[in-house]
Amino acid sequence: MASVRIVNAKKNFGAVKVIRGVDIDIADGEFVVLVGPSGCGKSTLLRMIAGLEEVSGGEIYIGQREVSHLRARDRDIAMVFQNYALYPHMTVSDNMGFALKLKKAGEQEMNDKVARAASILGLENLLERLPRQLSGGQRQRVAMGRAIVRDPQVFLFDEPLSNLDAKLRVQMRGEIRALHRRIGTTTIYVTHDQVEAMTMADKIVVLHDGLVEQIGTPLELYDRPDNLFVAGFIGSPAMNFIDGRIENGEFKAIGGLALPLPEGLPAGKFAGVELVYGIRPEHIRAKADGIQGTVDLVEGTGSEVYAKLDCQGQAIYCLFRERIQIEYQQSLCIGLDPSLVHIFDKATGKRVVV
Amino acid sequence: MTHKILGRIGFLFAALVFVSPVVLFFLWMLSLSLKFEIDNAAYPPVFIPEHFAWSNYVKVFAENNFFRYFWNSLLVTGTATLLALVIGVPAGYGIARLKAQKSAIVIMIARMTPGLSFLIPMFLLFQWMNLIGTLWPQIIIHLVVTVPLVVWIMMGYFETTPIELEEAASIDGATSWQVFRMVALPIAKPGIVVSFILSIIFSWNNFVFGVVLANRETRTLPVAVYNMLSFEQVSWGPLAAAALIVTLPVLILTMFAQKEIVAGLTAGAVKGG
Amino acid sequence: MISTDRAVPSYRLAPNYRPFVMPALIVVCAVIIFPWAFTVWMSANDWTLGQARTFVGAENYINLALDARFWESLWHTIYYTALAVILPLFLGTIAALIFDEQFPLRGFLRGVFVMPMMATPVAIALVWTMMFHPQLGILNYFLSLVGIEAQGWIYDQATVIPSLVIVEVWQWTPLVMLIVLGGLAAVPREPYESAEIDGANGWQKFRYLTLPMIGPFLMIAVIIRTIDALKSFDIIYAMTQGGPGTASETINIYLYNVAFSYYNIGYASAMAIIFFILIVILSFVLLIVRQCTVWSQAGDGK
Ligand SMILES: Nc1ncnc2c1ncn2[C@@H]1O[C@H](COP(=O)(O)OP(=O)(O)OP(=O)(O)O)[C@@H](O)[C@H]1O
Ligand SMILES: [Mg+2]
Repeated sequence: MASVRIVNAKKNFGAVKVIRGVDIDIADGEFVVLVGPSGCGKSTLLRMIAGLEEVSGGEIYIGQREVSHLRARDRDIAMVFQNYALYPHMTVSDNMGFALKLKKAGEQEMNDKVARAASILGLENLLERLPRQLSGGQRQRVAMGRAIVRDPQVFLFDEPLSNLDAKLRVQMRGEIRALHRRIGTTTIYVTHDQVEAMTMADKIVVLHDGLVEQIGTPLELYDRPDNLFVAGFIGSPAMNFIDGRIENGEFKAIGGLALPLPEGLPAGKFAGVELVYGIRPEHIRAKADGIQGTVDLVEGTGSEVYAKLDCQGQAIYCLFRERIQIEYQQSLCIGLDPSLVHIFDKATGKRVVV
Repeated sequence: MTHKILGRIGFLFAALVFVSPVVLFFLWMLSLSLKFEIDNAAYPPVFIPEHFAWSNYVKVFAENNFFRYFWNSLLVTGTATLLALVIGVPAGYGIARLKAQKSAIVIMIARMTPGLSFLIPMFLLFQWMNLIGTLWPQIIIHLVVTVPLVVWIMMGYFETTPIELEEAASIDGATSWQVFRMVALPIAKPGIVVSFILSIIFSWNNFVFGVVLANRETRTLPVAVYNMLSFEQVSWGPLAAAALIVTLPVLILTMFAQKEIVAGLTAGAVKGG
Repeated sequence: MISTDRAVPSYRLAPNYRPFVMPALIVVCAVIIFPWAFTVWMSANDWTLGQARTFVGAENYINLALDARFWESLWHTIYYTALAVILPLFLGTIAALIFDEQFPLRGFLRGVFVMPMMATPVAIALVWTMMFHPQLGILNYFLSLVGIEAQGWIYDQATVIPSLVIVEVWQWTPLVMLIVLGGLAAVPREPYESAEIDGANGWQKFRYLTLPMIGPFLMIAVIIRTIDALKSFDIIYAMTQGGPGTASETINIYLYNVAFSYYNIGYASAMAIIFFILIVILSFVLLIVRQCTVWSQAGDGK
């Protein structure tokens, strides 16, 4: 087990800059999730840590050792691939024992370690099967078993659950977390699924276009997104963004809609600056004397009601956790809690409120 | 329903029309090889003789040093194929992984060049090296056919095997050589089988190299059977028997490895020579 | 490859694949590149084996241009190739359309059909020679059954090339079939269903759907067949050695005679080079034609 430190890492494919200077500190034993939209460079960053891609600049440390220029096989890491990459011509136990065999470990040690990993993952009865005789979930487990047997410094996962169906995904999510709690190896986990990120991570790294947007615990990212990108990316359904300016201590949206501002905002400082007003749909409640709007769309799932309101030409999405009776085209009044409002500078995208 | 069955019978019939020249040819070949000269020269032709002339086959081996030529063919084909695999399989792997499209062009050129063009300079070279009279010139020049064939087919196979497996192996601690030997190679086994079989067939069938490079001692079977035609009193029975002996191993291989051959030919769409 | 912010470091993470290619590179240089270089050099010399060699520059090429026998052999080659491409293409396509359907014994019959392609050409040629025999051959017997007079086949100057092509067609139609069959397997089903609804008949479906879609595969077949037919040697040499007279002497056979009957190495080398350029140009033209017929990615299944 070891900490991982990434300092100003860069990666270019020819002229294309895919990773543009990334700094991340990962403590020993931490479970870190790299999250971001497709093509943002998550896999590339993970492969740089693994030693499958050369770094174009910067350093990577595992423990005290600088590994930026070491080959994959010398870095003492294990990786679980999106499509598992199980060796098709080897049985489950040979798959799991392959790394030990390469290390010329003894027969006894190999069998013990494979057996132990198999019992952790519930694979005892499948050891003699070939990968193609396994279900998706079982393959996924073998891939993890292969990593566990290694007892490496760091586990790397690249979207390991994306090939599974929704139900199995939830189950495996729990199993991976439980596994981490049990063996405590430092883990870096890539996903583009923000629910996975929120539920699994000790710490989330939001990546966008080859740059880190924000690093923090899941709740920090949810409660205090640093910028528009993180605010829009974390949380589902996505945060409402309303463009406008501060006028007379109120937020005036482009269409003229007036919205309450959080307390302690040095309103004068932002007079005339173009801002973005952010409020999560789930932080909006029905309120008799609130802002009035017309219901444009209603979707009920039983446990919650999702609605789109037209408030003076401004679309506002709301998520009501209590069951309220609303109908298409009816008028509805909503209230916002000013303490849950986020204000961003439109030009820089940065959060501007304390 | 009957419409469908009628259709199937129609297609079966059409297929039989196409296949019949093949079947008739080989049956006629067999018939020629099993008839005495009287029957072979009879008009109208005799299709199934009253007495089978098994002696034709005996004659081929007794009078023509055929065992020797069979052995030569085995040595040349076997060595050229094994060498081609040893050299060509790793090369196919390297080219696929390096994405070296340009080296593929060299392979294409080798395929497009008439075998004779290689023969002129190589013939001189072998003369200077004093190799004429041994089997080595033939083995070496057969590589012109077998190496490009193996490289071409293996390239295709390695291009389709997922690179993640090899990355996983290198993370597991394997060296490049171990990755190749323990992961890439076992997965590409079907490709190796295909290139092995096609290499054997094309090398076995090759005629032009032997015509130029072989002497009385170092003839391979195709050359030997051709020489029976030109230098002896032409007697059809033994000649047909010899022809059948030469091509029978290949036909048997084709029968048993039909699937691999079709796969290899449609993948690479290749032919030797 | 990789542009870096600082100096390119002298390490490599990616496995080094070059050692895998080295042995083959050496072999290719020895048996493919060297012969070519040597041939080019020889073609600039007047050199008959056993006699003195003199440098003559382009003289061999000039002589070639003035050599009537060469032009005649070129004509034979073109005639032979044209027939040996078109006939297998036509028959192979029909065979592929048949074998693309479902019927009993399909796999077995396909296996039998493929056999000539794998059989030893010389052995095949010998048996065909017997079958072509004017007096005792079985082919003339069959002709007599349907009342056609006996033919000279490969023993007659007028019919020798078509007769040889019969063998070539018999042997290589299966390859065309396999290639086209591969193309048919890549053809999607939906267009046929919608054409059915639009009321297309069988011929229209073939003409407007199948043919354009297998076009690229037909072109691959044409290219491969052209290269192979141009290079054809075994069958011609074993059956006629270019005869009767020089009636079936193709460039390849003439090349063989010049090189290994007359041992005129310099002249043969020049001919080999011209022949090779001819093959390359023709393949190139066909490749360009193919680019124009590509219907989709499916045609890349080379
Ligand atoms: N070998 C390569 N050569 C050139 N560009 C590449 C290469 N590998 C990745 N890229 C580019 O780098 C960018 C980041 O790719 P990467 O695979 O890291 O994305 P990702 O965040 O993992 O996306 P996803 O969620 O879709 O897996 C992409 O724009 C991709 O096109
Ligand atoms: Mg990815």
